[in-house]
Amino acid sequence: MTLYEKIKSIYPQLEDKDFMTVIILQNDSDGRGDYIAKWEHPTLAKPTQEQLA
Amino acid sequence: MASIDASTSGAGGIITTADNTGTLNLQSGGTTIATINSTGLSMASGKVLAPTGPAFSAYRASDQTITAATFTKVQLNTETFDTANAFDNSTNYRFTPQVAGYYQINGTLTAGASSNLGRAILTFFKNGSIYSRGIDFPFSASSSYVYASYSDLIYFNGSTDYVELYVYLNGTGTLTVVAPSAGEYTRMSGFLARAA
Repeated sequence: MTLYEKIKSIYPQLEDKDFMTVIILQNDSDGRGDYIAKWEHPTLAKPTQEQLA
Repeated sequence: MASIDASTSGAGGIITTADNTGTLNLQSGGTTIATINSTGLSMASGKVLAPTGPAFSAYRASDQTITAATFTKVQLNTETFDTANAFDNSTNYRFTPQVAGYYQINGTLTAGASSNLGRAILTFFKNGSIYSRGIDFPFSASSSYVYASYSDLIYFNGSTDYVELYVYLNGTGTLTVVAPSAGEYTRMSGFLARAA
């Protein structure tokens, strides 16, 4: 399951546009994989590492 | 008109001619190359003042899989040209010019999906963060490619500033930056448009 899929499973109400604006997932193609570069959602808290594990 | 002529015959040297017209011809072997007067510098017909700032063009030479809804750096691993050796095509895939100024940066993208491609955005990242985004293509066509292009004028400090090409794709199935070896599919290029 990708980071995007994990976040969507935690917060199913998130919409496509959220991942282009208030939430930015990033992959720098350096082998470290996907990560949350920005989380500025007005009502939903940034998932914890435990939730994403 | 006054002139400065770089001689091409005899013993050679610089031949100067003076007057009070306020116009100066820059010549080579007696032929005027450019003229300077109160309005500025103008080139003679057929002569060019060619900029020599850094320029590069690099492309992706094989398909690259992209995670959905994740801004992902495109590994532009092949150079067409890189006049100032300022593009890294092996480790960080970025352009770091060592001449300060305003650069025209261009990007092209071909993206596809094994099932359904729903969105594609071409993005320039400056120093690791989103700088500007290109046209957003929201669509729901299946088994199709999307071709996008985008340009922007970006300032570089001439030492540490760099730019990278990122893409955002969304859809179902395997999402791919399509690049079957040829450079016509996914590419970034740029050149110095104006010095700082």
